[in-house]
Amino acid sequence: MRRELDFLRTEATHANLLLSALNAVLCVDGEDDPFDGVFSALMPVFACAHAIVLIESEDGAGPLECVASSHAGLAGSAWNPSPVSGKVLGGRIVTTLADASAGNGPPIAGFSLSGREPALYLPLAVRGRRGLMLLLRQADEPGFDRSHVSLAKKFSLLASHAFAAKRASQTEAETHRLKHLTEQLRASQEALTFRANHDQLTGLPNRAYIQELVGGLIARKKPGEKLALAFIDLDDFKRVNDLHGHAAGDALLKEVAIRIGSEIRESDVFGRISGDEFVIVLDSIGERADAAAIVDRIRQRLQRALQVEGAELRPSASIGIALFPTHGRDYDSLRRHADMAMYHAKTSVKGSVAFFNRELGRIAEHKLTLEQKLRQAVLRREFRCALQRKVDIHDHAAVGFEALVRWVDHRGVVRAPGYFLPLAGELGLLDDIAGLVVDDLIAHLPALDARFGGALRYSVNVSPAQAARTEFMIGLIRKLAGAGCPHRFIIELTEESVAAAGPFQTHILPLLRASGIGISIDDFGTGYSSLATLADLTVDELKIDRSLIASIHLRPRNQSILRAIESLGAALGICVVAEGIETVEEKDYLIRETRLAIGQGFLFHKPQLLGDLLSGAADDRASLLA
Amino acid sequence: MVSIRSFTAASETTPEALARLEANMNGQAGTASLVCAFYDCAHDDALIHEFITGHFSTVAILGGTSCNGAMSQNGLGGSGSIVLLAIDDPDGDYGTAAVRLEADAAASAEQALHAALANAGCAGELPELIWIYQAPGQEEAVIEGLRRVVGDRCPIIGGSSADNDVSGAWRQLGPDGALRDGLAVGVLFSSGGIGYAFQGGYEPGGESGIVTAVESGAASPGERAGRRILTIDGEPAADVYDRWIGGVLHEKRQAGGNVLADTTMYPLGMDVGKIEGISQYLLVHPDKILADGSLSTFASVAEGARLYNMRGERARLVERAGKVATAAAATLPGGASSLAGGLVVYCGGCMLAVGDEMPKVAQAVTRSFNGMPFAGCFTFGEQGSLLDRNVHGNLMISAVAFGR
Repeated sequence: MRRELDFLRTEATHANLLLSALNAVLCVDGEDDPFDGVFSALMPVFACAHAIVLIESEDGAGPLECVASSHAGLAGSAWNPSPVSGKVLGGRIVTTLADASAGNGPPIAGFSLSGREPALYLPLAVRGRRGLMLLLRQADEPGFDRSHVSLAKKFSLLASHAFAAKRASQTEAETHRLKHLTEQLRASQEALTFRANHDQLTGLPNRAYIQELVGGLIARKKPGEKLALAFIDLDDFKRVNDLHGHAAGDALLKEVAIRIGSEIRESDVFGRISGDEFVIVLDSIGERADAAAIVDRIRQRLQRALQVEGAELRPSASIGIALFPTHGRDYDSLRRHADMAMYHAKTSVKGSVAFFNRELGRIAEHKLTLEQKLRQAVLRREFRCALQRKVDIHDHAAVGFEALVRWVDHRGVVRAPGYFLPLAGELGLLDDIAGLVVDDLIAHLPALDARFGGALRYSVNVSPAQAARTEFMIGLIRKLAGAGCPHRFIIELTEESVAAAGPFQTHILPLLRASGIGISIDDFGTGYSSLATLADLTVDELKIDRSLIASIHLRPRNQSILRAIESLGAALGICVVAEGIETVEEKDYLIRETRLAIGQGFLFHKPQLLGDLLSGAADDRASLLA
Repeated sequence: MVSIRSFTAASETTPEALARLEANMNGQAGTASLVCAFYDCAHDDALIHEFITGHFSTVAILGGTSCNGAMSQNGLGGSGSIVLLAIDDPDGDYGTAAVRLEADAAASAEQALHAALANAGCAGELPELIWIYQAPGQEEAVIEGLRRVVGDRCPIIGGSSADNDVSGAWRQLGPDGALRDGLAVGVLFSSGGIGYAFQGGYEPGGESGIVTAVESGAASPGERAGRRILTIDGEPAADVYDRWIGGVLHEKRQAGGNVLADTTMYPLGMDVGKIEGISQYLLVHPDKILADGSLSTFASVAEGARLYNMRGERARLVERAGKVATAAAATLPGGASSLAGGLVVYCGGCMLAVGDEMPKVAQAVTRSFNGMPFAGCFTFGEQGSLLDRNVHGNLMISAVAFGR
């Protein structure tokens, strides 16, 4: 596709050059030599040093006569025919290899050829006779390539027609034909230019053309004039492709183009810059509110449901806006800042709109600082293990612990995972951090056993990205097994990780099973697990997500779901754990209405660093309800 | 006016396959300017060569063995198949030549190109396209030799002949018969114009590193390049690569061994430039981990090059063949509507990855070529023009479209 665009651009350029050269032929009056104009149009294009036109004698035998040349002294000279000139007179375009050129040519004062000049021959009918044009470069220059041959082919055909028309004194029919030919070429050039500059799927300006258009708009701006650049990114577009196929994705993109196009003004510029990313330039705007009003109308229009390939889609888009000149004075700055605002909108509320502002700039700066600190923290081993109890909800007796991560910086400030884990994930530091937490846990295991007994099991969280990395998982399994009691560890995975096909299924699950380490599905009820998947995997534990447990005593629908999960667990022999129990009412409901025995949550225990937990710190005791 | 016909037949024995081929041809042989032949390595080259020369007059011949047979507009030929593509172009010139690849493969290639040009009656002329079929192993040197003559002024497209089990039973077919360690070169001066495309069906997975040491083979002065990568970012190459692809080579990293099948979906890529701001990658297929932690590959890599971890998907490899064919047809001087037929080179590694969905690859190409005749071979290395530079890569797909 990209190469095709490249090809189209080349074609469009060729068409323009041909128009110039043809124009040179057609605009010459009366008996004037048309070649001066042709040579001056063609020689810079082909970057050649000499241009020579040779024609056959009237009887077609004997040497070729030079009828025009960029070197005045060659006119009238006789050139001996060669096998190559024979092919060219027959209609072939020929270009030579580095060591095979046009020969020496006739001896002319002030003009000599070494025989090594790169040559390009093209057939040309002149004065009603077969002829050729020979273009020569200097001997030490690179040869002509296939793009030159392609251009020469077009020129040869059209120029021959043009010469024929001139020779016939431009009879009405010839003139009409030539005019028609030129119009066709112009139309073809316009069509090529359009295709080179527009996205084929939607017909909208493409990335390069948008940049060109916006650059032009900005260049024409007078002091005080404003415009707005909106960066639109469809939400969950990949899911549409994955679930409904690429045809549905393409249909959605076309519909989005139509919807947005119907909401913008004639003066605005709208294009598609990549897969599901669009750019609108609102030109011009008075106030920021003007841009906000138009963009909000677009946002709402996009959210209307549509039927695609038999499925109902409810599209939405996150949109970021940057203003000229406040947020940038060139296309790249405006697009980058609008993109940043779009990202902010998407991460805040999908389907929303955000303007770029200095705060976003500051956030970017803060992110950079945090990145540096995180890298240092990994080197300083500042990540520690904190444990939260899993308990029997009837008597609050501990049945196990879940290992969690805390960042304790060099000043002793403790940071919760929400502060650093997303960025750590982006930076690829999660494996290192997980390693530090597990090391901390294993190192304290003897002390934990001494305090809580040796029967408790310890759960370790693994992210979907980590589960997909075989090397990480093998290292983790070895590390846990190396502690000497693999059956006392449980790896908590998300539904997504467990259901994913690939090395996890083929390599890791068998290793986990063989090692004796337990498998738990974390946050159950929020993903896409199928019953069939669960039955195949024979996991040891399901942890019901906190979103289902919150206010369970007040939410009949969640109560039904909970009963279904409980039955499922019982049928498959899987231990079911309720996560996120925070109130006495929730606990009482679970005891009264379900047969669930194990729970976890702030009501029973807030996570504690190992040192605090082992020393029996006051907050540990305070967190346990009697 | 260019006219193209394609004929397919399959059988375990060569005489039987050729008898079926003759029946399928239904007396349509006659003249051809160029005949391309691709076939399962189990077949007898001499009988195939004799068949072609016996059925087509004044013909240039080029082709060779293809992994598990070949494909055409009639579908996937499968095991034991033979596919012939006959191009008849009275106004064009075609010539082929074949040489044994000697120690100086570049010089052999240069010699073969000049011979092919002479056989076409076009000595000293720049062809529209150079079509090559060769034994795997010295592809970079072959390209270098051809580039000495034509530079990057015309595309060099082709494949490395393949057998069915990487045992070395591949052969190359030229005008005088078959070779085992040879190179067949064809020069094409088509009267209907030629379009072409060369792409990979993989996308970057995110990780990358600099090649810090290779076991150097023949390379340009001042450049160290070779097919054995010793280190990436100063670490043993196999360790780095295994980490990138999620540790699936963990066991083999300890003991060494063949990793061809394991790595088909995770090749390495080299950024060769951008088109429209989108990076283009030349793919390199790792085939073995060696005891010292180095990585053996099917294409040469230079020290200092940045290698990217690439990812493939089965569905994408299936549809990509059709897209490459479409792209080739779109670049015909007369546009896709002038298509007379084509040639497709599809990597044997991709073929292994696609498995039982291979018939869909043939169907995708057939749709893209609008049902016009084509021949497709399955190779152990692919050559083509990427960003106007002629190169050798792995796991790539090439397509050539011929205009009427």
